[in-house]
Amino acid sequence: MLKLMKLELRKFKLSGYIRGALIANVIILGLLLLIGYTSEIEKELSFTDFERVLSLIETFVRATFVVFASVLIWTMVIGEFKSKSMTVMFLYPINRKKIMIAKLLVIVLFTFSAMIVSLVFVTLGFAIAHSISPIVPDASFWPVIKQHAAGIVMNTVAASIMSLIPLYFGMRSYSGPATILSSFLIVVIVCQYFGDITLYSFIIIPITLALIGAYVAYLAIRNVEKRDIL
Amino acid sequence: MTYIVQTHQLTKTFNGQEAVSGVSMNIQKGDIYGLLGPNGAGKTTIMKMLTNLVKPTSGEVVLFGEKITDASYSMLGRMGSIIEYPIFYGKLSAKENLDLHCEYMGYPNKKAIDEVLELVKLSNIDNKAVKHFSLGMKQRLGIARAMITKPELLILDEPINGLDPMGIKELRDLFQMLSKQYGITLLISSHLLSEIEQVADAIGVVNHGRLIQEVSMEQVRAQNTEYIELTTNDCKQAAYVLSNDLGISNLRVIDERVIRVYGASIPQSEITKALILRNMNIESITKKNSSLEDYFLTLLHGGEYRA
Repeated sequence: MLKLMKLELRKFKLSGYIRGALIANVIILGLLLLIGYTSEIEKELSFTDFERVLSLIETFVRATFVVFASVLIWTMVIGEFKSKSMTVMFLYPINRKKIMIAKLLVIVLFTFSAMIVSLVFVTLGFAIAHSISPIVPDASFWPVIKQHAAGIVMNTVAASIMSLIPLYFGMRSYSGPATILSSFLIVVIVCQYFGDITLYSFIIIPITLALIGAYVAYLAIRNVEKRDIL
Repeated sequence: MTYIVQTHQLTKTFNGQEAVSGVSMNIQKGDIYGLLGPNGAGKTTIMKMLTNLVKPTSGEVVLFGEKITDASYSMLGRMGSIIEYPIFYGKLSAKENLDLHCEYMGYPNKKAIDEVLELVKLSNIDNKAVKHFSLGMKQRLGIARAMITKPELLILDEPINGLDPMGIKELRDLFQMLSKQYGITLLISSHLLSEIEQVADAIGVVNHGRLIQEVSMEQVRAQNTEYIELTTNDCKQAAYVLSNDLGISNLRVIDERVIRVYGASIPQSEITKALILRNMNIESITKKNSSLEDYFLTLLHGGEYRA
């Protein structure tokens, strides 16, 4: 399995995606600082405490990488079916289910690590900016991070499994736009702020969505052996 | 006699239409088997069922003496194939593609990559991405990929597509080499008869999803390799002379003036002599070769070849 995953990485040259993820990070940080510094000028603070900052970072990162995952789903799964290179894959003496599992695992793990790395990067960036020129009046970084760390990791796990949902829409007609649009839809639903909270703050929502994501993956894997590859 | 591939009443229905119906074919070990048929006859679908990409609606496929099921994976390691047209990871170079193939096939010998590129005459491609290759080059690379692991069975769908005449000649030699030197069984499909005719040991003719006939090339050659065509003013008389004086039974009157003598056991000179002795007028007499093409066309039109 590990070998299959490594081969997937070699085939799709994910280094390009890592660069993309880095650029996304810089943009997120930039946006955050922009919000922070402009609201200071306008004297109406949006970042009253660090908890809000952290929540915003989380939402930004989650939105970005759910869409990112849909791009990966497109290149690694749907695109392979569409360009028929999947016929090549299925002519190897390897269980089709294993091939699919390897692909989905790469997508989930990549999304998860990209989210975690981005959370650390953006938070760190924000902290450095704050130490140079303060943004948040009540700046108690470490206690807040310590308090929320476990929750954030759990949410990220849920988010990376949830990001498989677009697979369902993509597999129906091997369509790239359907894959990526459905990820936007998820982002709009999950990452929208209602006052101070997003839908994602209710613990039941990320859990349900992650379960749906897992079920979508299960469907894609279950049927692959019986499928005609035309 | 061992069969590498056997199918029994193989049928595939797409949306209520039979794309392949009741195909029972047998491929002997070591043979080059030509699958002939016009476009859309069902050749590719048959090949996809042999490689388990498409699941038969009814009937079964027996590969290497084992019936294939949804979970038959190990036998895929014993075959190499191009189905429909060669597909690669376009962003990667030829060598990267072959390297990946070896990894997935579990074939450790990486030196084979250069050897095989040499064999299909794909040189100075450097690190060019495969998406910039011409169709002919992709076809060569596809064949290289199919044969790199020295499989027992090669399934090549229209391998001659997109190649120039020189390339076709080279490939023909390559196929024969693979068959003779490595004892690889080859299944090649084509709609170009003349190409198959020269390499195949056995032929299956497919049309409208049915396997119309399966014959060995030996049989085809024995049936109608050569004939003598003669034009006279009186066919009836000539036919009488030929059968009476020379004891030729294997002849066919084409029209009032043309007669064909099959089975070249009697030399042309004898025929001329006999006719002249009988005072017959011979306008022309020529030895001809009936190619597989005639045979194929008659099969497709459902006609009998000989009277």
